[in-house]
Amino acid sequence: MTHLKLTNISKEYGGTTVVQDFNLDVEQGEFVSFLGPSGCGKTTTLRMVAGFEKPTSGTITINGQDITNIAPNQRNVGMIFQAYALFPNMTVAQNIGFGMQIHKESKGAIKERVNEMLALINLEKHANKYPFQLSGGQQQRVALARALANRPQVLLLDEPLSALDAKIRVQLRSEIRAIQKKMGITAIFVTHDQEEALSISDRIVVMYEGRIEQVGTPFEVYNFPNTRFVANFVGSLNTADAEVVDPVKGLLSMDGIHFESAEGTKDRKKGDKIKIAIRPERFGFASEQKKANVVDSTIENITFLGSVVRIQLKIGNTKFNMDTFNNPFLELPKIGAIEQVTCSREAVLVLDE
Amino acid sequence: MATFDVVKRDAPKARPALSKFSWAWLGVLPFFLFAFMFLIYPSSTIALGSFQDTKTHTFTFQNFAHLLQSPSLIASYWISIKISLITSIGGGIFGFLLAYSAIRGGLPRFMRSSLMTFCGVASNFAGVPLAFAFITLLSPSGVLTGWLKAMGYNPYFHGFQLYNFWGLSIVYMYFQFPLMVLVIAPAIDGLRKEWLEAAENLGASSFQYWRYVAFPILLPAILGTMILLFGNSFGAFATAQALTGGAINLVTIVIGSQLRGDVLGDAGLGYALASGMVVVMVIAITGYTLLQRQTERWLR
Amino acid sequence: MKRGGLVWSWFWMILGILYFFLPLLATFLFSLRAIKGVLSFKAYQNLFVTTDFVTNFSYSLVWAIFTIVVGILIFVPTAYWVRLRVPQFRTAVEFVTLLPFVIPGIVFVFGLVRTFSHPPFLIVNSPALLIAAYTVLSMPYMYRSIDTGLRAIDVQTLTEAAQSLGAGWETILFRIILPNIRVAILNGAFLSFAIVMGEYILAQYLAKPAFAPYMAYLIQQKAYEPAALAVISFALTWGCLGIIQLVGRGSQQAQIAGGH
Repeated sequence: MTHLKLTNISKEYGGTTVVQDFNLDVEQGEFVSFLGPSGCGKTTTLRMVAGFEKPTSGTITINGQDITNIAPNQRNVGMIFQAYALFPNMTVAQNIGFGMQIHKESKGAIKERVNEMLALINLEKHANKYPFQLSGGQQQRVALARALANRPQVLLLDEPLSALDAKIRVQLRSEIRAIQKKMGITAIFVTHDQEEALSISDRIVVMYEGRIEQVGTPFEVYNFPNTRFVANFVGSLNTADAEVVDPVKGLLSMDGIHFESAEGTKDRKKGDKIKIAIRPERFGFASEQKKANVVDSTIENITFLGSVVRIQLKIGNTKFNMDTFNNPFLELPKIGAIEQVTCSREAVLVLDE
Repeated sequence: MATFDVVKRDAPKARPALSKFSWAWLGVLPFFLFAFMFLIYPSSTIALGSFQDTKTHTFTFQNFAHLLQSPSLIASYWISIKISLITSIGGGIFGFLLAYSAIRGGLPRFMRSSLMTFCGVASNFAGVPLAFAFITLLSPSGVLTGWLKAMGYNPYFHGFQLYNFWGLSIVYMYFQFPLMVLVIAPAIDGLRKEWLEAAENLGASSFQYWRYVAFPILLPAILGTMILLFGNSFGAFATAQALTGGAINLVTIVIGSQLRGDVLGDAGLGYALASGMVVVMVIAITGYTLLQRQTERWLR
Repeated sequence: MKRGGLVWSWFWMILGILYFFLPLLATFLFSLRAIKGVLSFKAYQNLFVTTDFVTNFSYSLVWAIFTIVVGILIFVPTAYWVRLRVPQFRTAVEFVTLLPFVIPGIVFVFGLVRTFSHPPFLIVNSPALLIAAYTVLSMPYMYRSIDTGLRAIDVQTLTEAAQSLGAGWETILFRIILPNIRVAILNGAFLSFAIVMGEYILAQYLAKPAFAPYMAYLIQQKAYEPAALAVISFALTWGCLGIIQLVGRGSQQAQIAGGH
C-alpha cells in the first residue's frame, strides 16, 4: 500500500528549476534512498516532504492525506539532519522528550518513552549528558531517537552520516537500518555516497540535475543501469567509444577490437556510435573455457587496495581498470606483460554516446 | 590516519624538552617588567594603600570602615551601580533587538554590515566629544530641543534634564548599545538554522522555539554581555565629567576630585574607594568570562 | 520571517540609526552656525588658525605614534615568543593583557600619580610615563590583534620551515613573521591610534597637552569651536575603524573600557 506519494513535484528558485516533475510512491515500511551528486535536488525534495520548502507545483500525500500546504510543525514527519541539530541547552533525555513536551504529553508518558528510546539507541548511561559531551556518532543516535520519539509517520534522513568517521559511518548505517526495520517506519534517506545507498536501501532513486534518472532496487540500479549517468555514478565503470557492427548478435567494435554484448543493441543500427561500459570487477584473466570477449591487453600498473587488487590495462589504445579479489596465493602478472583478459557477454553494457 | 599520527609524534619540535632547564623564559621578561612597572605595581599601591593607615603605614581595615560609614561615598557607589544597571539592561535589550533585527530579521544584507561598522565606531566614540554631541542635541538650546519646541513640545517643561542622572543615562546608552551589538552578534550568528527546523519538525511553534531553544541558548551570552556593559559604564569617567562638570557623584568622579586635591581629606579613604571599584570590576569581568565560556560550549 | 517581525526589525533599526546619527547631525549643524544667520565653516577656520588647536592636536599625534611604536616593540616579540617557545606563560600573559579592562582608567591614573610622583620614581612629569600609560591602555587591543594574527599563520611550522632553509633569527622575524602579521599589526595600530586620540583621563591627570583635554577646556570657553572639534574627533574615529575594516575585514573588536 502506498504510504508516501509525491506527484509531479517541481521546485523553482527564481527561474532555476531545482526539482522537475518528480513522481514517487513509497510503500509503508519501505527504506528509499535519494542518491545523486550535490545540487541534484535530492535534499530539496526531502525538505519539501518535511515542509521546509514549498513545491512550486505538485502534491505530496501521506496515507492519502494531502500535506503539501501543511506547516512543517503540523506534519508529524521526523527529520534527521547532517549536523545533528541537537539542542545544545538540553540534555540527551530532554532532547528526546522535546517533541512530546511540545505536544503536552504527561511527564510519566514522556519519561517512559524517553527510556524506551534510550534503550533503543544504547545510550541509557548518557541520559543526563549534554550534546557537547557526546561523540558525533552518539549525537546522531540521539537525533534519531528524538525524531522517533514523536512516532512520526515518515522518517527523513538528510545525509545523516556524512559528518562522521568512516568506521562509525558503517556501523551507524546498519544500526539505522535495523531500527527502521524493527519499528516498521517508512524512511527516506538522502546521500551522495553510492555505497551507502546500495547497502542500506530497499529502493534507490538516482537523481541528476533535478530529475529522476532511475528508480530501482540496489541490485537493479547497479547491474542494470538505465542511463549513462546511473552507470557512471553508481559503482565504478570503464567506458570507451565503440560502434555497432551487428545489432542482432550484439557485436561491437572498439577500434577494431570486437566485444559481444548480451543486451542493448536490438534497437540500434549497424554503424551507430555508442559507448561500451564494463565494470572493473567483471574482467578476469582468460582461461581455457571462456570463448566470448577474449582480448589481448598490456598490464600497465597494479595497485593494491586491500581486499581488492586493481590492475590497469590497455586494450588497444584504451585504458581499462580490472578489479580482482585479493588472496595470498594470487599470482599477479608483471607490469608490461601482455595477458589475455575476458568478460562475459552480460558484463558489456551499451550506453548512448 | 594512524600512520600520519605516528609521523607527527616523531617529528622534531622547535619546543625544547621541559625537563632541561632553559633560558627561553627570558624572552618574555621585558613584557612582564613593563607590565609590572606601569600597570601592576601602580595599581597594587592603591590596593595596598587601602589597607594602610595613612600616617603610621601599619595594616588596617580602618579605611574600608570609614568608607562604609560615609553616606555620601556609599551614595556615590549606589549612583554608579544604578546608572550602570540601567544602561546595561537598557542598552543590552536595545542592542540585542537591533542585532537580532539586522542578522535574523529579514532586513537587506547590507544593513547588517553597516550596523556593525556604525557600532564599531559608536562604541569607540565616547568621552568629551560624545558629551558635547549630546549637549548640542539635547541641551535647553540644543538642536533637537529646538525642533521639538517648534513642534510645540518642550521636553524641559516635562521634567527632562540633560545634566542629571537620566540625561547621563541617555548619553551612556550611546556607547552601551553598540557594544552589545558587537559582542552579541557572533552569538546570534551561532544560532543554527537547523535548530529552528528541528524544533518545527518536532511540532514547535515559533514562540515555542524561542521559549525553549533560542532564548535559553542565547541567555548566557545576553547576561554575560550585559555584565560587560555594566563594567563598561561603571568605569566611565570622561563622559560624565565633560557633560556635568562633576555634578553627578559617580565613584569615578569622586576619585577624580580626590586625585586633584584630596577632597576627602583622607588619602586612605581614596585608596579604599578606588579598590572597591576594582573589586566590582573583577566580579563583573569574572561573571562575563564564565558566561562566555558557557556560550562558547553551546554555540561552537 | 513573518511580516510582523519584519516591521519590528525596521522599527528597531530606524530607532538605532536615529540614536546613532542625531547627535552627530546636531553637532555638525551646530558647528556650521559660527556666523549668525548663515551656515559656514568659520568654526573650523577659527580652530585651524589658533595655535592651541594645532599644538594639542600635534601632541596627541606624537603620543599616538610613540604608543604604537612602543606597543609593537614590546608585544610582537612577546606574543611570538609565547607562541613559539614558552606556551606555559600563555595564561599569565593573557591575564595581564586583560587587566586594563578590570582597572578603571581613573583608578589606573590614580595609581600612576601616587607611584611616580615621589622618589625613587619621580617621573610623573615625563612624557615617557604618559606614553607607557597609553601603551598599557592600548595593550588589550594591540596584543590581541597581534596574537590573533600569529594564530592564523601557524608560527611553529613557519619558523621550523625557515630554520630548515637556513634562516637566522632576524630573517625569520623580519622577513617571515612580521610581513605575515602586517594586517594584524595595522589593526592594533589603528585601534591604539583611535584610543590615544580620544583619551582624556591620562592626559588630563598627568597634565600633558592633548586633544581631548583641550576640547574639554574649549567647551567651557567657546560654543561653536568645540562642535567643530567633536566632528573632527568623530571623523578620526570613523577613519581609523574604517581603515581597520578595509585592511582587515576581520576580527571585530570593540573598545571595552577606558576613554569613556
